[in-house]
Amino acid sequence: MARAKLDEVTKIFTEDDGSEVVAVDDVTLDIDDGEFLVLVGPSGCGKSTTLRMVAGLETITDGEIRLDGTVINDVPAKDRDIAMVFQSYALYPHMSVRGNMSFGLEESTNLGDDEIAKRVEESAGMMGIGDLLDRKPSDLSGGQQQRVALGRAIVRDPAVFLMDEPLSNLDAKLRAQMRTELQRLQNELDVTTIYVTHDQTEAMTMGDRIAILDDGELQQVGTPLECYHRPKNLFVAGFIGDPPMNFLQVTNEDGTLIDHSFEYPLPPQVASAVEGTDSLVLGVRPEDIELEPDQSRADDHTISATIDVVEPMGDENVVYLRLADGATVARPDLAEQDAAEGTDVNDAAVEGSDDAKGGIAGESRSTIIATIGGMQHFDDGQDISIRIPPDAIHVFDADSTEALHNRTLQDADAVPGI
Amino acid sequence: MLELIAAVRSDGTTGDTGDDEDERSGRSRWERLRQSDFVRSAPFWGPPFLLMGFFVYAAIGWNFLLSLTDYERFQGPDYSNLDFGMYRRMLDDPTFWEATQNTLILLIVFTVACLVAGLLLAILLDREVRFGRGFRTIYLLPMSLSFIVTAQFWKWMYNSQFGIINEFFGLFGLGPYGWLSNPDLVLFSVIFALVWQFSGYTMIVYLAALRAIPQDQYEAARVDGASTLKLYWRVIIPQLKPAMVSASVVLLLFSLKAFDFLFALFDGYQPRKGADILSTMMVREAFARSQWAYSSAIAIVLFLLSLAVIAPYLYQQHRQGNL
Repeated sequence: MARAKLDEVTKIFTEDDGSEVVAVDDVTLDIDDGEFLVLVGPSGCGKSTTLRMVAGLETITDGEIRLDGTVINDVPAKDRDIAMVFQSYALYPHMSVRGNMSFGLEESTNLGDDEIAKRVEESAGMMGIGDLLDRKPSDLSGGQQQRVALGRAIVRDPAVFLMDEPLSNLDAKLRAQMRTELQRLQNELDVTTIYVTHDQTEAMTMGDRIAILDDGELQQVGTPLECYHRPKNLFVAGFIGDPPMNFLQVTNEDGTLIDHSFEYPLPPQVASAVEGTDSLVLGVRPEDIELEPDQSRADDHTISATIDVVEPMGDENVVYLRLADGATVARPDLAEQDAAEGTDVNDAAVEGSDDAKGGIAGESRSTIIATIGGMQHFDDGQDISIRIPPDAIHVFDADSTEALHNRTLQDADAVPGI
Repeated sequence: MLELIAAVRSDGTTGDTGDDEDERSGRSRWERLRQSDFVRSAPFWGPPFLLMGFFVYAAIGWNFLLSLTDYERFQGPDYSNLDFGMYRRMLDDPTFWEATQNTLILLIVFTVACLVAGLLLAILLDREVRFGRGFRTIYLLPMSLSFIVTAQFWKWMYNSQFGIINEFFGLFGLGPYGWLSNPDLVLFSVIFALVWQFSGYTMIVYLAALRAIPQDQYEAARVDGASTLKLYWRVIIPQLKPAMVSASVVLLLFSLKAFDFLFALFDGYQPRKGADILSTMMVREAFARSQWAYSSAIAIVLFLLSLAVIAPYLYQQHRQGNL
């Protein structure tokens, strides 16, 4: 068990043609002893590279990685006392399950054969693969191979567990089952764990804390609920949560958010938080949107919309809504791209220009998503009002993409980790 | 094929009772057989089957028959008096025992040396060396040359007076050695030259197998604490076993019939003392000394040795469902 620290770690790959690609950019993370940290982000964001640097499978261009205070930048992988679970499991096909599990102990310790056999049996028992020990990996199902891969890591009793998308090759049901099992196992063993995934559900459900990466840069580190309710920027807000947060492109005129089709007066406290910033993005989670069939009950905080499609999920309905013409739904990836290029997102989007960038937003431009109770019924094409409660809104600066205001939570104190 | 048809016909008639039925059913069986995939596909597999049967298997059979006669010089074979006399002659012939011993040494040393050299080259090339592709071509190139060419080339290399190898040893005050004239050295000189020519082939076979091993096997072993040596010895090389088996079969079979290289190296049917192997002896007995029956007997021994190499391989492939 150990405390792992990444200090301003950077990884730059040099391509064959001499150009450089920054895969990981100045990432600082402090992982407590026994903590379960999830590195999450879209593919190509540098999360796997970060993990591989901790494992010693990639060199570190700049910065330091420390295990219990000792810098391990130049320690070869085999001497780092870490165990890793690979996405493909990477079981040795010519060895039995027993051989796979004892290999690490044989190579990295001086334990006697009896002791190794004892530990392998123990770990195999813990993973429920005790009766598979003499089989070859090719004779096992995907789920069993997954357990062997985990068992191979557990038996080592390492300082740190590294897991690189270990559940992504399992079917949905097994994945959900292994998710809880992994959590239980990690609680039991209390070993510091770094877990990489692109799946925000895995990140939310498994991590003590999650670290969200995009384009090599650390966007936010926090507990799952913190990242969900208090996202630091548009990227985190859009990435965490499924269906994702809705974004509306608006301008700020003296504390009122203006779009072509609606005006949304901000509560005074929010208005002061966004004062001085003209182009904003209004964010609201699908579950916070209230549908108001009776349009006569519209007020300051309602927007008229048409129901496009209803997806019944049983426990809830996912409702896709079309806003009245002219309302613009912002997408964080579009906003970021434009911000990076120094163009004004607001202008480009509001003018509804037909250039390539306008096209990227495409259909999502005028669609927002709401989740409502499964027993509420609406028809496709129905005209209604949607209410966006003022205490549930997030407001972002459209240029810097930083969050200027996050929603207020009444019961925040009652829930740990927010 | 005829047997099969007969079998089907008789089978067709056994179950039936009445004569009419018998006839009708027989005809329909015949009709059905004519429509079967087996018969309808016969024009495609039949001709090559017959050609193979005649030129390969019949020839082997005829060769065996010849080995039972006393056929020599130009008197023509006499098939009326068949015995194993030629095989008994073999047992008493010191030349045969020497050739057998040399054949087995060549077989084992050449194959093992090629496998080891090819493996080392493949592992080095697999580690993403600079100009790796260039090296791969260079190592494989000797394989594409004719044995006549490489034999001539090695004859110059091994020349006891002007050869580059003796020149090299001369730099250290060693030699000159009679690489091709010393009976204790000549077989190993031949083996070395053949290994040079064939290790490129084993390298390619290994390299293909190495490339098929996913990178994360290496990474998993490293994280598991294995040193580079242990990583290859315990994780990578065991996974090369299928490649090793198929390369070994090719090398073993080649070494049994390594005639042309020796013929070119020694300018004729009689290799220098110490380098005679069964295949050179077989050709010499037939075409230099006209001992046709004796030569046929040696050919049968070589055939049995080849069979001993290939049969286990074919059996294993069959069991794995590859055949």
